[in-house]
Amino acid sequence: MKTSPGKADIITRSGNGVAESSHRCSLYVGTCGYSYTEWVDSGFYPAGTGSAEMAALYSYHFSVVELNYTWYQMARADAVARMVNNVPEHLLFAAKLTRTMTHERDRDWQEQLGRYLQGIAPLKKRLLAILVQLPPGFVRTIANRNYLAALLDGLHELPVAVEFRHVSWAVDSVFSELERRKVTLVSVDEPELPTLFPSLDIVTNPALFYVRFHGRNRDGWRSGNMQKKFYYDYSEEELCSWTERYLQVMAGQAGRGVLFFNNHVQAHAPRNAQKLIKILGNK
Amino acid sequence: MAGIFKLRERSVIHFNVADFAVAVERVADSGLRGRPLIIAPLQAARAEVYDMSEEAFREGIRKGMTLRRAVKMCRSATLLAPRPVLYRKAMTAFLKEVQNYSPLIESGFTDGHFFVDVTGTHRLYGPPPDIGLRIRRYARTHLGINPIWTLGTSKLVSKVASRLVKPVGEYIVSPGDEAAFLAPLPVTLLPGFTRREIRRLKEFRLTTVGALAGLSRRQLMVPFGSRSDYLYNISRGIDDTAVSNSSAVVPGVDYEQVFADDTNDRQEVEAVLSGMISKAGHHLRLRRQVARRVGVWLRYSDGSHVVRQASRRVGSNSDFVLRNLAYSALQRAWIKRTRIRGCRLVCDRLHRQSPQLPLFPDAGGEERRQEKLLGAMDTIRDHLGHRLIHTGSQRFP
Repeated sequence: MKTSPGKADIITRSGNGVAESSHRCSLYVGTCGYSYTEWVDSGFYPAGTGSAEMAALYSYHFSVVELNYTWYQMARADAVARMVNNVPEHLLFAAKLTRTMTHERDRDWQEQLGRYLQGIAPLKKRLLAILVQLPPGFVRTIANRNYLAALLDGLHELPVAVEFRHVSWAVDSVFSELERRKVTLVSVDEPELPTLFPSLDIVTNPALFYVRFHGRNRDGWRSGNMQKKFYYDYSEEELCSWTERYLQVMAGQAGRGVLFFNNHVQAHAPRNAQKLIKILGNK
Repeated sequence: MAGIFKLRERSVIHFNVADFAVAVERVADSGLRGRPLIIAPLQAARAEVYDMSEEAFREGIRKGMTLRRAVKMCRSATLLAPRPVLYRKAMTAFLKEVQNYSPLIESGFTDGHFFVDVTGTHRLYGPPPDIGLRIRRYARTHLGINPIWTLGTSKLVSKVASRLVKPVGEYIVSPGDEAAFLAPLPVTLLPGFTRREIRRLKEFRLTTVGALAGLSRRQLMVPFGSRSDYLYNISRGIDDTAVSNSSAVVPGVDYEQVFADDTNDRQEVEAVLSGMISKAGHHLRLRRQVARRVGVWLRYSDGSHVVRQASRRVGSNSDFVLRNLAYSALQRAWIKRTRIRGCRLVCDRLHRQSPQLPLFPDAGGEERRQEKLLGAMDTIRDHLGHRLIHTGSQRFP
């Protein structure tokens, strides 16, 4: 068994033929969450697999996972520590910031941030990034810019990736500020719809780039039903073309990259992740 | 054969609106927010606190405390009389939304608690945490209340998680993590202990669930006897009781009255029931429905309640038939000497009224005469209001 399944290195070369330099980027492919009963029904996990066994089975295929339950509820150190202790050491984590600091902002968000940081502390060196996913209604206003700045100040000691869902944030001043703070801008693959943040190949943090594949289900995206929104199966051609268009550029500018599939319905996410790993293996 | 069948891991969400009556009163009157609020029957001589706000709770007010004492302890509190009908309306509205996600719902009558078994619904509605969050969002935006929601593999685990996060918040206990989740918690957070058992646990210095879980069935047998199995299981987070919708808010015609003063006067209770029957019968006739069952709830001043029902094979919407059913249910429910705080009437098992006339009309024409009388009373009530005409025994809610 491989020590780090789902990990690939990509070497990019630059130069004019006289003075050439090469750059190595380590890529980790995984999924957003790992605990889905649906993945048992769809055959990704063996029949009869209970939720408690899923993390270990997942880590047989992948070396990174995005923890999304920390978005639903405040991370609790005891539960996180138990989870970390029950999975192999090669599994790395990205942890989503709790919704009470992004989607349903509470007045006491600073206190909550402190609790969150305590909650994810057991992840220690296995934490690749904290994902700050901002809602579609989070438009670039002065108030929201100030809030985001304060939030990033509160997280400055940790690796952070920010995902915007509104197009108003796709401006150079935002990218340069993220670059100054060494905060990763999340690159998204999602349906092309008005007001949605576009797919970009911009790297704002040389240590890490972060990609989220949400699927390209235009009809389901705004249905309000997650089962429709994330119902999408990437074809090999789509993933190859995405790799050619975006991955080469980003891998050339960062030392590490994480790529997560969020199209969890019918276990398309892990299967598409495996498909992408195969494509990268052939590079 | 053992080991071939494996039960699917359950997903049980518990919704709990802390201080439900207060939450509903605050939706009705936003001016009550942020202030200490006590809900209690105001005219009763020895009224007890029915519910109180978090602010009043912090001042030491508790449910069941005498109103006189509560007012002394929290002089700034606003006092309101309970409005169970309003609370039940809010419960029904909440239930309606929850029913969109699962048919397996267990709830109280007016307490803001719902257990929802969403096992196996993931293909339709996505992962269980998402269902919890969506229902909570609905409750916040459409009903103005903010329920706690917790997710576990059983009613026990989700209930304990609720107690942990009260008054607001959420808690997801991952499957397989039940015993570890419970271990550090005070043993008193587990539901279902009798006072005697709590005393015994204290005597044995069993203060945490983990300490209790450290004992074998045999060890527990000595102090707890036949209850040892129950204690053994709950201390490990094992609970296979089903989410049963037997106590759910049933679709039916439903009225409730809280007495101004607690009473044990049978005649007074019958008069109030008769008034409610008259309203229920009118309502059913208007909808061309018949009920096959009548339930009577008696809520006592000590907080307990008794429920009894009476049913018949053929449904009816006649006040005379429904009253007979209600009185026989009341007769069965009349088992305590404690004073009654309120009574509730539910006519359920509803069906459409058959348009077909009976093949053999009753010999003396009694039913026909009663039908005519009720028809005439309905006409008057439709034009001039329900209270204008009533039989001698009635008192209206």
